[in-house]
Amino acid sequence: MKISYNWLKQYLDLDPTEHSAEVLAEVLPLLGFDIETLEHNGPPALEKVVVGEVIEYEQHPNADRLRCCKVSTGGVGEPHKIVCGAKNFEAGDRVMVALPGAVLPGDFKIKKSKLRGEPSEGMLCSAKELNLGQDHEGILILNKEQALGTPLNEIFHEVDTILDLEITPNRVDVLSHIGLAREVAARFNLNVNYPEVKASTTNPSSGAVLLESVELQAGNVCPHYTAFCIRGVKVGPSPEWLVKQLESVGLRSVNNVVDVTNFVLHETGQPMHAFDAAKIKGKKLLVRKAGVGEVMTTLDGVERKLSIDDLVVADSERPLALAGVMGGVDAEVGVETVDVVLETAYFNPSTIRASSRRIGLVSDSSYRFERGIDAQGLLYASLRAVDLILECAGGSLDGDRLVAGSEPLTQKAIQLCPDEVRRFIGFKISNESMCQILTSLNLDVCERTESDGSLNWEVKIPSYRGDLEREVDLIEEVVRLYGTDRIPETEVHARGIEAQDHRAYTISQEVAAYMTGQNFHEAFLYSLRDPQETQVLFGEKALEHLKLANPLQSDQSHLRSCLLPGLIDVLQLNTARGTGAMRFFERGRIFKPSESGMMELLAFGFVLTGASLERAWKDHKAVDFYTAKSLCENIASLAGFPVAKLVFEPQETSPLWQGGQSATSGELMRQGVSCTAGLLNVVTLRDRWSLEYPIIAGIVEINPETFQRGVKRARHSAISNQPASIRDIALVVDQFVLAGRVQSDLVKFAKKAVSGFTCEAITCFDIYEGDGLPEGKKSLALSFSFRAMDRTLKDKEINAAFQAIQEQIESQTDYQIRK
Amino acid sequence: MDFQESEFFIFKMKEALETIIIDVRDTAPGLENRAAFEAYKATIQGPNGSLTAVMKSMGKLLREEKPAMGKLINEAKAEINEALSQALATIEAAELTAKLGSAIDPSLPSVEGDRGTLHPIAQVREEMVALFQRIGFSVAEATEVETEYFCFDALNIPKDHPARDMQDSYYLPNELKMQNVPKHKEEQYLLRTHSSTVQIRTMLQKNPPIRIIAPGRCFRRDTPDATHSANFHQIEGLYVDQDVSLTDLKATLDYFVKTIFGPKAKTRLRPSFFPFTEPSFEMDFFSPDLGKLSNKWLEIMGCGMVDPEVFKAVGIDPQAYTGFAFGMGIERIAMILQGVDDIRYYYQNDLRFLKQFA
Repeated sequence: MKISYNWLKQYLDLDPTEHSAEVLAEVLPLLGFDIETLEHNGPPALEKVVVGEVIEYEQHPNADRLRCCKVSTGGVGEPHKIVCGAKNFEAGDRVMVALPGAVLPGDFKIKKSKLRGEPSEGMLCSAKELNLGQDHEGILILNKEQALGTPLNEIFHEVDTILDLEITPNRVDVLSHIGLAREVAARFNLNVNYPEVKASTTNPSSGAVLLESVELQAGNVCPHYTAFCIRGVKVGPSPEWLVKQLESVGLRSVNNVVDVTNFVLHETGQPMHAFDAAKIKGKKLLVRKAGVGEVMTTLDGVERKLSIDDLVVADSERPLALAGVMGGVDAEVGVETVDVVLETAYFNPSTIRASSRRIGLVSDSSYRFERGIDAQGLLYASLRAVDLILECAGGSLDGDRLVAGSEPLTQKAIQLCPDEVRRFIGFKISNESMCQILTSLNLDVCERTESDGSLNWEVKIPSYRGDLEREVDLIEEVVRLYGTDRIPETEVHARGIEAQDHRAYTISQEVAAYMTGQNFHEAFLYSLRDPQETQVLFGEKALEHLKLANPLQSDQSHLRSCLLPGLIDVLQLNTARGTGAMRFFERGRIFKPSESGMMELLAFGFVLTGASLERAWKDHKAVDFYTAKSLCENIASLAGFPVAKLVFEPQETSPLWQGGQSATSGELMRQGVSCTAGLLNVVTLRDRWSLEYPIIAGIVEINPETFQRGVKRARHSAISNQPASIRDIALVVDQFVLAGRVQSDLVKFAKKAVSGFTCEAITCFDIYEGDGLPEGKKSLALSFSFRAMDRTLKDKEINAAFQAIQEQIESQTDYQIRK
Repeated sequence: MDFQESEFFIFKMKEALETIIIDVRDTAPGLENRAAFEAYKATIQGPNGSLTAVMKSMGKLLREEKPAMGKLINEAKAEINEALSQALATIEAAELTAKLGSAIDPSLPSVEGDRGTLHPIAQVREEMVALFQRIGFSVAEATEVETEYFCFDALNIPKDHPARDMQDSYYLPNELKMQNVPKHKEEQYLLRTHSSTVQIRTMLQKNPPIRIIAPGRCFRRDTPDATHSANFHQIEGLYVDQDVSLTDLKATLDYFVKTIFGPKAKTRLRPSFFPFTEPSFEMDFFSPDLGKLSNKWLEIMGCGMVDPEVFKAVGIDPQAYTGFAFGMGIERIAMILQGVDDIRYYYQNDLRFLKQFA
């Protein structure tokens, strides 16, 4: 909201230094009114900028667009030779001349110089260059009475500062000059000088009434509607002061009547509307809900289809205004207008807000109505407007103020206990100071001693402070005016609170430490992805489940269901830029369709490439599925999932993964974790990302519900000091039998075969296919490690166990033991 | 053997020993490999070796002459062994060198790759979380998908309140069901616009005292530019207990600012408005050591005392408890600390950018 310092001065005796615009710009943010911009209108104090006369000029010999002028400023060294680019002047014109040494706004220093070979000893100024307006088309031409050599600041002494304030939605009362004046007055202990009003609510009527009545047909959405009739106005241009004031806050002058309504809105915060009385049919104004299919054209020339929830002000035939938002063209006040009906009303905030949002039109009126205007401010504002209309456009009040409904009740009092305030703010502030602050805000403090001897205040709230409803709201006022800079600086006192850090956070941190230790760089990627990508990589179900209801950009319309596409983007970008990057990971939330809707999951993902993207003097370590598997297992283990329970199974080729070179393990619902690791689909990488090199990737996805299960603290169990005994075996099995399956069979057999000691590990240490083996077969070499807690095992007992294992292999499997 | 013969024999033996020693001294150092060494060693100490021959001839000596000659032989043997083992050591050293390959060039780079890096936003997030953990805050998290109730209503932002205009939200379709994000009633799902949702979820789960710090990803429906991206990160703090005061809030925030921006940083609280705190403030800070951003007030967070309406929504008695809350954008802090002027750099992940924060 724009506030003109000069305008503000009309209501406050502001000291030019103590309360200068600059001081206000420092103080207001600390009162809660942030300054977005501060602009000066009018020239700052400028030296060596004086009135001069163009004696003569001629075309610049070397530049078509320049003129060489001889300019007199009535002083020594005359005349000045000045080169000028403007063409809007003639010899004999008086103009503003900036002489060498002058510094124009924007730190523009004027020096003697040469322009295209011609000397120039100054500059002829445009209005904009002197901060006198926006005109930059030509130089500023003065009237001929201005004496040569008169300094600029003697001619243009009226300056103004415009503050653009950011007013929070709770402070509708400050959306006006008087409203801000009240705050400044409270801060500096000043009085607000409210303009006196002369008009009266009761007036004689001259003959035929202009408007018989105003009627409310929409119940509580407009509790109070009032109107004045003014007869015989002469609609025309506004007086200069009014035009200037409106322009200073960025408004355009329309005509004297409309300008007054706008002026009063920015003065008092009360929106109002003027109708051309002649255009009101049936001599009646109705406030009603719009009818089905009703249409009206608002003052901005747009035809609006109304909804039955919109509130309109109508005559007997048609809506004349979209209540509280904007008037209609049908009763617009124009040059032909003679009689005026001036509306001042209170509309229900949420109704106005809904209309304004629905049609996408925020006006100065709707902005204030939807925040809740001062319900008791109608009369003063309308009388003030009447005064100004009569002053600016002539005419006279005709008949009494027309009223429908009544002021909504706004009388409020809040209990405030000074001790409670001090407890809440945590520092001492005297009752007197508090009381003084509240009083300065026009809050009425009545002291009361309770039966238990404690002191309590009853604080009466003025009608315009709808935001003050509770004790804590008053505490805010006390702190605001007391000054937040006076809150004492203290140390942090932290008493212990029994609580654990959320495991999603601690696990993420541990995984990140692990991954960076494995030379992975962490990437941060967007959670919103492209629909086409979603469909191609994750299918129709994902496309349907992951979509946003109201995306902003078409390529960010779907939630991500996997971290990998983003990570591949990163590889692609780094490849294109030749950064030599090889390993990236991300930790973040992903979203997956599940049996009953969708789930949010915690996910870790990584990508790595085998060959460096740049040539190196030595080969890089080869990477493959097993690299990714190990990373996945370690991540899962850091997240609290035992690796033993993660059984990787091969998977078919999918749009994302390469079959035969990738595998999955785990299960989200039951186990709480799932992993996929291996080679990304080579064709997809080539077609979607133009990446021609193999990429190994892994994802670990965790159902956050598992974090609600408690974490078991690890317990020690005794380890054996005895040596282990090793036995090896080679088995010939079908090519497609997984080593893991063979291993788990052997574990089962070993459990049965061993007693009194343990088979603590069975590891596969060699795989062989080829010569000496039948087609379609492979040989697995496995090693058994036996150990007892209390003794060195004897060959005899080991051999017996090993024999028992072999017998089981022979009888229960089709694995052939290679002898 | 008579004495004279014996004298001569001893002389010959001595001569033989000296010849062997001289030969070993001359030859052994020149032996180039283990095979040559072994072959040569056999000519000295093997069954038919020259030293073996001398030792065999001991038997021919008179008994009284044996000790002196034995001593001589042992001395010669020691000398020979010494020379041979030196030769062997040299050969072994050469063998090892050959086995180890050519010498390294320490000026060549390793191809193992550089140590990985935490993302610059993660670094700042973790630094911030850690400094709050040091004063007794514990980390809380909640989901990124939320419902209107937890994002707005419970935070005292009713449906037709102008404050809902302050942040435009991404909604999820009406019919969507989230298996692991419980709703309050039948409200719509959305992507949380601020981390304040964690306040509500936490206060519903636990009784005071509560002191949490909650980092998390948030979403706003903003057109991306140098300071806005479709998702960003916030960090939320909440402290609820008996007698938590405004002064405590200021002390906590001063501690934060001075820890992260240095002891010369100053803070100020600018009264503002948030529906979920009363009084509400924007906190600005001012630092002489921030390069281009030095010596001006920079807005970095919103904060205030928890509004009684929020306490009522989560079933905490506002008469018995007070609290403060604050929230700030992690990218904003990171950009100030790291001198980054466009938020989009963070989401590009150009390795050259990431490595600057290694």
